[in-house]
Amino acid sequence: MSKPTILLIDDEERILRSLRMLFLSNYNVRMTTDPHEAIRILKTEKVHVIVSDQRMPVMQGSELLRIARDTSPATMRILLTGYSDLDASIASVNEGEVFRYLLKPWLADDVKSAVAEAAAIAEASFSVHSVDLKSVQAGVEHKKPRVLIIDSEEATSITVREILGVRCEIVWAYNAQMAMEELAKQDVSVVVSDLMLGETNVAYILKTIKQLNPQTQCIVVTSFNDTSRLIELINQAQISRYLPKPVGKNLLARNLESMLERFNLLRSQPALQNRQAVAPISDDHEKMQSGNFLGMIGRLRARVAA
Amino acid sequence: MGQDSTGDKEVFAREMLALVNPIESIAPDRTVAEVAELFLNPDYAKVLSLPVVENGLPLGVISRYRFMDMYLKQFARELHGKRAIRHYINEKPLLVELDQPLAEAALHVAEHMQFPLTEDFVITRHGKYLGVGFVMDLLKAMEVRMRANTEELNGAYSRLKSSQLALVQSEKMASLGQMVAGVAHEINTPLGYVQNNVAIGQELFVQVREMIAGYEALVDNLLNEQATDEQISGQMAQIARMRGELNAHEMLGEMQGLMADSLYGIGQISELVLNLKNFSRMDAAATEAVNLNSCIESALNIGRNVLKNKVEVIKELGDLPRMTCSPSHLNQVFLNLFTNAAQAMGENGQLRIRTWQDKDSIHVSVTDNGKGILPEHLTHIFDPFFTTKPVGEGTGLGLAISHQIILQHGGEIRVESSVGAGTTFYIRLPLAVGESSHTDSTVLTEQF
Repeated sequence: MSKPTILLIDDEERILRSLRMLFLSNYNVRMTTDPHEAIRILKTEKVHVIVSDQRMPVMQGSELLRIARDTSPATMRILLTGYSDLDASIASVNEGEVFRYLLKPWLADDVKSAVAEAAAIAEASFSVHSVDLKSVQAGVEHKKPRVLIIDSEEATSITVREILGVRCEIVWAYNAQMAMEELAKQDVSVVVSDLMLGETNVAYILKTIKQLNPQTQCIVVTSFNDTSRLIELINQAQISRYLPKPVGKNLLARNLESMLERFNLLRSQPALQNRQAVAPISDDHEKMQSGNFLGMIGRLRARVAA
Repeated sequence: MGQDSTGDKEVFAREMLALVNPIESIAPDRTVAEVAELFLNPDYAKVLSLPVVENGLPLGVISRYRFMDMYLKQFARELHGKRAIRHYINEKPLLVELDQPLAEAALHVAEHMQFPLTEDFVITRHGKYLGVGFVMDLLKAMEVRMRANTEELNGAYSRLKSSQLALVQSEKMASLGQMVAGVAHEINTPLGYVQNNVAIGQELFVQVREMIAGYEALVDNLLNEQATDEQISGQMAQIARMRGELNAHEMLGEMQGLMADSLYGIGQISELVLNLKNFSRMDAAATEAVNLNSCIESALNIGRNVLKNKVEVIKELGDLPRMTCSPSHLNQVFLNLFTNAAQAMGENGQLRIRTWQDKDSIHVSVTDNGKGILPEHLTHIFDPFFTTKPVGEGTGLGLAISHQIILQHGGEIRVESSVGAGTTFYIRLPLAVGESSHTDSTVLTEQF
């Protein structure tokens, strides 16, 4: 098998030279300081992984990755940036839909393993992306999707209900216990969640969701703004959207639709679900919370089955 | 409003009520002799004057002093004793309404009372007689009130002072935080490749060392007459395998390039750290003779993070003499102007910085082609806490502090702006820095 191709974009050539050396032996390395050149490469070559800087004079990395999504959907997208600003990280979720958000300076092994994982996933999805996904989807009949809202206030769930009406089963959980019970009952297609329920941080729940069902799509709707937490949620929860609160109805409607669509796509093409594979939880406390959460769900499910 | 004033009146009435002495009023037809008797009543020992009231309305007061005056004359008792008191009264007594504020009442009494103090004042409710008030009681009440006011004022003053200090500190921290975050981000790029290059070098080092060890062992065996052909061919195979895995020549060549890059990167990091040091001037004297252009360069270096990729900076820096100033504070002013400008500009931002000198001053102008400032905002732009930025993004103190800093350098700062076209800040700093402004900048150091 030929080496996978990795495309590196950074306005600092020294970053490119340095990364190239890291990947030289195991990858076909393409690199450029010009995002437009990168788009041209994506159009003409089969690229497994694109690793882009965020702040560049011509184009922001999140914008380049958004274009990459359309140009080469099978390519896995990674952002490698020294600027951990909130706008960039939000754009990288909502537009770039990045697989990993990595920070400079990086540990060589971390970047290597993230790229290796991404390359393997890309290889598996090339074959899927070559078939016409729309036609695949249309043929499949699904049961009623289930949407879970995790929020201490009812407003978001009311909006979701207005948008989706009877098309979906809509469940509102206003505390962690309820969220757990609902997640234990049945699979959830889309989770719409805040990050804080009152004083409780529920990031660990979001980081556990992909372990319950890798197809579940997660939309975060919050007024909570913390860049490093968001970066963790990108890498460890693979949240699909990050929307500001209070969220406009149209914005939420648009994103709910595309997430329901994606859930259906993943259901029909499970090979694609790895594209949202999560990184291990880094925080020890959250790791423990997540473990307990999974354990309790397991017991609840066993009781229901019995 | 109506509600409030009713409420106020109740409070005032309660204060005044404490001053009321319900002394029985005198009818105007009582005789002088009868009234004189009343003053001998021990209950009235403290009373200076008695109220004369008809149908509830106070007609006037008759004072102890008036009697003394009258009775000092011969046959006064006989002449006046039988006559009605109404002919002897002061028809313009000191009148105070019950719901009048204490301070107002005190002012009225103070303005109209006579010396020596011979009369008490009359307290009325809706114009009707209520009682007598002693001036001394009123003064005492006022004194208590003033003491309370003073304490309240002192408290308010110290609260204000500490919150102002906290705010100035928070503005300083906010701009410092922004600056540090900016530079930290700048450092991340060179740090990124330097760290990666060293990691790669370390790995390569291990591989190359193994390879050298292989070659050395081979050379040793070639020189060793007892070594067998099998051993030698085994070693040669091992070396061939290592060469297959690692193209040492090429990799070392690459590595040489990465080493050069790393040195360059370390140079970049050192420069950034130096910029930080120059900007903060932590290790320099508070006041120093510097070239203002270097302050501007220093602020630009620090602000690079907000300006980079977004703003074209055009510098027209004239030849300037050194001037004695507080460079760290002026740096702060310039950085504040640059970051404000950057925030006001969208795509294709142009920041034009000019410096020039005339006979006695140095001038700086900072022009952006941003969205401009609304005329109604322009007049408030140097006011503390005035900000058009969203809550949490600006303290509203940046320009106020800049203004303060320029004033304390004996200079002036002004602004011109047109909406949609851009904004220019002009700073003038006097060249001749007298002793006074020297001390000023010491004060400045303490304040900010």
